Amino acid sequence: MWCRILEVFKHWRQQRYSIRRTWSDWEYLVLDIETSGLDPKQDHIVSIGWVCIKQGAIDLDSARHLILEEAQAGENVGIHMITDSDIQQYGKKQESALRYLRHFLRGRVLVMHHAPLEIGFLKAAWKQHVLPNFGLIWLDTLMLEKAKAERAQQPIQEGGFRLNQCRERYHLPDYQGHDALTDALATAELLLAQIAYQGKGCRLYDLSVMAGGKSRLAPR
Amino acid sequence: MAAIDIPEVHKFIDVTPPFANLSTAERKQILVGVAMVYVRQGQTMLLEGDSATVHLIRRGACEIRTPKGGLVDQIADGECFGVSSVMAQNPDGLQVVAMEDSLVYRFDKACFKEMLTQNEAFGLFFEHTQHHRRRKLSRSQDKELASPALQLSTSVEHIMTRQLITAQASETVQTIAMRMTEARVSSILVVEQEKLIGIVTDRDLRSRILALGGSAQSLVAEVMTTTPITLTPSALVMQAQTLMSESNIHHLPIVEADNKVIGMLTAADLLRHQELSPLLFINQIHRQNSVESLARICQQWPTLIINLIVTDMKPADIGKVLATVSDNLTKRLIELALLELGEAPMAFQFLVFGSQARRDQSLGSDQDNGLMLAREPNAEEAEYFAHLADFVCQGLAQCGIRLCPGNIMASNAQWRKTRQGWQQVFEKWIKSAAPSALLNASIFFDLRCVYGDDQPLQILIENMQKEVAKNSMFLATLTRTAIANKPPLGFFRSFLLESSGEHKHQLDLKHQGLALINDLARLYGLSCKEYREGTVERLEQAIRERLISVDTARNLMDAWDHLNGLRLEAQSLHWQATGTASAYLDPKKLSSLERKHLKTTFSIINDVQEVAQQRFMRGYS
Repeated sequence: MWCRILEVFKHWRQQRYSIRRTWSDWEYLVLDIETSGLDPKQDHIVSIGWVCIKQGAIDLDSARHLILEEAQAGENVGIHMITDSDIQQYGKKQESALRYLRHFLRGRVLVMHHAPLEIGFLKAAWKQHVLPNFGLIWLDTLMLEKAKAERAQQPIQEGGFRLNQCRERYHLPDYQGHDALTDALATAELLLAQIAYQGKGCRLYDLSVMAGGKSRLAPR
Repeated sequence: MAAIDIPEVHKFIDVTPPFANLSTAERKQILVGVAMVYVRQGQTMLLEGDSATVHLIRRGACEIRTPKGGLVDQIADGECFGVSSVMAQNPDGLQVVAMEDSLVYRFDKACFKEMLTQNEAFGLFFEHTQHHRRRKLSRSQDKELASPALQLSTSVEHIMTRQLITAQASETVQTIAMRMTEARVSSILVVEQEKLIGIVTDRDLRSRILALGGSAQSLVAEVMTTTPITLTPSALVMQAQTLMSESNIHHLPIVEADNKVIGMLTAADLLRHQELSPLLFINQIHRQNSVESLARICQQWPTLIINLIVTDMKPADIGKVLATVSDNLTKRLIELALLELGEAPMAFQFLVFGSQARRDQSLGSDQDNGLMLAREPNAEEAEYFAHLADFVCQGLAQCGIRLCPGNIMASNAQWRKTRQGWQQVFEKWIKSAAPSALLNASIFFDLRCVYGDDQPLQILIENMQKEVAKNSMFLATLTRTAIANKPPLGFFRSFLLESSGEHKHQLDLKHQGLALINDLARLYGLSCKEYREGTVERLEQAIRERLISVDTARNLMDAWDHLNGLRLEAQSLHWQATGTASAYLDPKKLSSLERKHLKTTFSIINDVQEVAQQRFMRGYS
């Protein structure tokens, strides 16, 4: 009985604490996935890129770029520039790639540009390989940009929420490449810029309210 | 773990010196432990703790400042800061302020230090950077009498108002007057689909409606000033000031390239921005009602000049600002003279020669001026103008612009002439091929009108140019005098220093450097079809008319900028130490790199002298 109450109290304290913490007290994993199409039911992951944010700065050493062996490059080769020979040479098993990712995701907030698609693919993959239950907190830089535009009552035109267009608004450099890693880095930079524009003392809590959520990746 | 290949990071590092010169392996090595941060415009970075390391700007711009706010350096994409904090724990407590939103790479301190010792060229590069900043730092600390609030080098974007009060051309003046009153502004922008098409100010409403008994129902389109003077957001505060004072306007709409209006800059914005500014100074000049009070105001003149120098304004721009101030001072003195002596019996122009005409004045410039009269005066009228000229010249002297030792002043009866009179003088100079006649006359060929109708002077200049074109002998003679003095580049590549007098072993930057360039530019300028007064403008015109190669002209302009910068700096230091301006430089105080640069500058002058000799003296020497 007492144990249970103590447990609840501890949980409550933790939550209070996490609400007060500024954003840079947390670590983030910024992810981009290249896929063979837009439907998680039919299409599959071609490559995964990520980079971590630690103490408010992007840690370039943490950058990873994984190309999956199951990927059939096919007609999308023009977009993500991964060829069949790349896959043969560097291709990793999807399952081991996902376990590797899961290891890095632990204790970090997942960040993506346009989360529903990425999370859809992750959920599908989790089911496919029957990976252990995994709860995550995520942020979406696209949603963040939308929420900010709505607050400022500045209508943004169609296409204005694409990664490159968002970056332009913060004077970020124009990146030519569009592989998963470059896009992950580009998203990470965008997040830093968006947070910088939030002003001092921005908390993860504020960001979550604007453009975040919790998801559960489950084996079935 | 070593940093893996991130294509966009490598793409940038591969082309950025000195990283570009590292081997591929070394480049990977230096990238280990690199972090990226984003800094908002206006944010300050203290180089302490984890941040006490080298940073490389990927995109953006920053200012390096002393703890007291003095400007040390401005850097942008591809440049580094935090160098001294790696090499010596940032002993000077420098701060870095983002001037634009900036994306910055932060190197790992240990890895960076290792590379500094591992690769000699790499280490040397940063030692140079550090040395360079140190020198700039000591300079900015020397000049702390200048207010740090004065930042003419910031762009207008930072101080303009973004809340725009706008109107349609089809509205009535009453509705816009109400809107202006409500918003408490003195001007309104007339736009059409976000594009600026006009402006209406309080003054327009007064003079174009009220004073004429116009109707409150008149349309905006009828009273607005169409195609108003504008600036782009990247223009400097200094440019805005000069433009406002020259055009006598108090409102400057700020527009982007497609004429889309994004802000408004008023004289009040500028005044709020600075304490002692040229604009404020000019406003004060126009409010004074006696020579005594003008002289009192002008005691700030040296401080103003030193302020301009401290803000790292380009020497050419400083010259322009100073010329604008002295033009206004001259005008005010003439107005006061007219008040005291009564209206002039005929139209007249007040002409300036030499440095004021070229707009390259500096501390301690003296006056060179004259009068142009509408017709031959009778005895009484002649006396009137003698009084007027005396009043102005003595007034200028009291205000700190020295009397001309060569007596080239309006107060000298010899330099008060009708247009025809001036024309005869110029013709005589141009026709007589005697170099002695030209030696002292050359500054007359730099001329500008600061008071009165400009038209007669333009006729005079046109006639003068025609006369020059007819007399190739004149240009040859002018060339001979222009190249008679050589830059002080001795046979033994050492300085030929003034060998006697007060300035023994010092270099006269004005007479041994700048004057030579001014002479060359005048020579080219006079052979052009279009007349220009300024040295840089003359060279640019000569490029346009294909009289000089782009390279040669640009080299000479750089040389001029360099010497002008050195002169202004020498003068301001000398002024602060002794209260007098001196353009002498002790070469011992220069670093070896600067000495080398100065020698290059002199050899450029030498080269252009030879080019000019080829061009203008062929067949005459």
